[in-house]
Amino acid sequence: MDTGVVLSRKQADYICRDERYCLSMQRYKGQQYSQLYFFRLHTIRQNLLSRIQERWPSLPVCKILGLEEGQLCVVVGTLYKQMQLKPSILEEYSKERSVVPLATPSKFTHNDDYLIMEDESGRVKLIRDANLPSFYVTGVVVAVCGKEEKDGEFFVQEILEPGLPPQIPLRSAVSFDEEKFVVFASGLKIGGESTNPLELQLLLDHLTGHLGEEEEQSLSSQIVRVVIAGGSVDLQTSLSNGQPLSGKEQTKLVEPIRELDLVLTQLAAAMPVDIMPGPNDPANYSLPQQPLHRCLFPGASLYNTFVSATNPHQFELDGALFLGTSGQNIEDLEKYSEAEERLDFMERTLVWRHLAPTAPDTLGCYPFTDRDPFILEMCPHVYFCGNQPSYASRLLKGPSGQQVRLICIPSFQETSSVVLVSLKTWDSHILTFSANSFQP
Amino acid sequence: MATVRTVDSVFPKRKKANSASAAVDKSRCSLVLEKSKEAQDDDDVEEILRQFDMNLAYGPCLGLSRLARWERARGIGLNPSQHVKDVLELCAGGDSECLWEGRV
Repeated sequence: MDTGVVLSRKQADYICRDERYCLSMQRYKGQQYSQLYFFRLHTIRQNLLSRIQERWPSLPVCKILGLEEGQLCVVVGTLYKQMQLKPSILEEYSKERSVVPLATPSKFTHNDDYLIMEDESGRVKLIRDANLPSFYVTGVVVAVCGKEEKDGEFFVQEILEPGLPPQIPLRSAVSFDEEKFVVFASGLKIGGESTNPLELQLLLDHLTGHLGEEEEQSLSSQIVRVVIAGGSVDLQTSLSNGQPLSGKEQTKLVEPIRELDLVLTQLAAAMPVDIMPGPNDPANYSLPQQPLHRCLFPGASLYNTFVSATNPHQFELDGALFLGTSGQNIEDLEKYSEAEERLDFMERTLVWRHLAPTAPDTLGCYPFTDRDPFILEMCPHVYFCGNQPSYASRLLKGPSGQQVRLICIPSFQETSSVVLVSLKTWDSHILTFSANSFQP
Repeated sequence: MATVRTVDSVFPKRKKANSASAAVDKSRCSLVLEKSKEAQDDDDVEEILRQFDMNLAYGPCLGLSRLARWERARGIGLNPSQHVKDVLELCAGGDSECLWEGRV
């Protein structure tokens, strides 16, 4: 029965901070990645020097070429992990074509991997216990304390990582008294063969407040924003095999994007939406991925609540800093290092102060010359990562009072779930939609 | 019948320098050592800019123009010498590519 109660949706102040990931002002002049690595080493080394002073005040900081045998000192440099299973383009050419591998491994770690530390002057092999190489990946900047051995290798006694960056404390404003939620969704995979459109429609109806009684609708009215972290379409790229496509085939190919536009139009009409590109979305491949073009969304881009964001995406809501990716950085860490959980990888990227340390080694990246946009200068309050196999969340507390909510957003196509984060308590909840009628 | 044109008429004879070769060699050597003042200045300018290119503290030089590298060094707090920038602007025509550009 219509009781005539009008529920209004809560609002939150939104500021988009994607300028650092924007490539529009960049001009490619044929540069290589050495500039990016130099900038990364220099910037993170500046942060490390003060921490080195606190931790080892009496030890000298040496360059690698200036190492003397047997002298205890501190060296700062970029790590490189020598991995024998890492796919190499040269091996593609040298190995025989007739030998087809039975299965391509998804993990490239091996017990014989070892770490090399490199700075502007040279490189040196690091030795310590066996667990060390499996923890780190290529591209991380750390400081090591130890001494050089007889055969030119550096025996590591202790390692110092950059640590969590400083965090702006949340202003304890009145706006945090009322409950507000942000919804994170990922891996919608519209147009895919195993996608269930009914569950997606259930999600839309719930978010826009068309479902349920006043209780459910009041819950929906507390949702201030939806962030879609990549994986939104599943295009059948097998259709485009180099032959010119007929009109029918072209329509079939872009059908998922039209559906996505319909979905986004429904959402954008009801609430602010951010959409990020993902691994198989129609955006560029290398990080930082540029926003999906507005011509893909003729319906949704008319709304001013619709924001097409970069990947990684950074924004502020009511003064709280949110930062996240569509999952490529964590997937790459999973391939080249070991950890118990995906959340551990996320925690490591924060402690290393770098969103994607494997870029550009194994993760595609633009060759920046004047900056490295993945370096974290401020600690976010919420750090999310999309397209993960399952939901996981953790509240990370830093040594200087930083508090970060780490969230792994599960793929909607597989789990039919989205994640709700409360802006008041920083708790996260999972919201699952099921279209199965037989539920035990 | 046209007049016979020999090679000599097209290319007139030039005096050969072999007559007093030893003396000429010596003077030629000393001539080579003394460059004009402009050429020396150019060498100095080039030397300063090459030293700037080779300086490890400012990062790799390839792929970046010298001015961009100087600006980047200043931006990240490395305090590159103003002299290099002045030399770039006044003598090298505003900007130039690094030493290895086009060669590697």
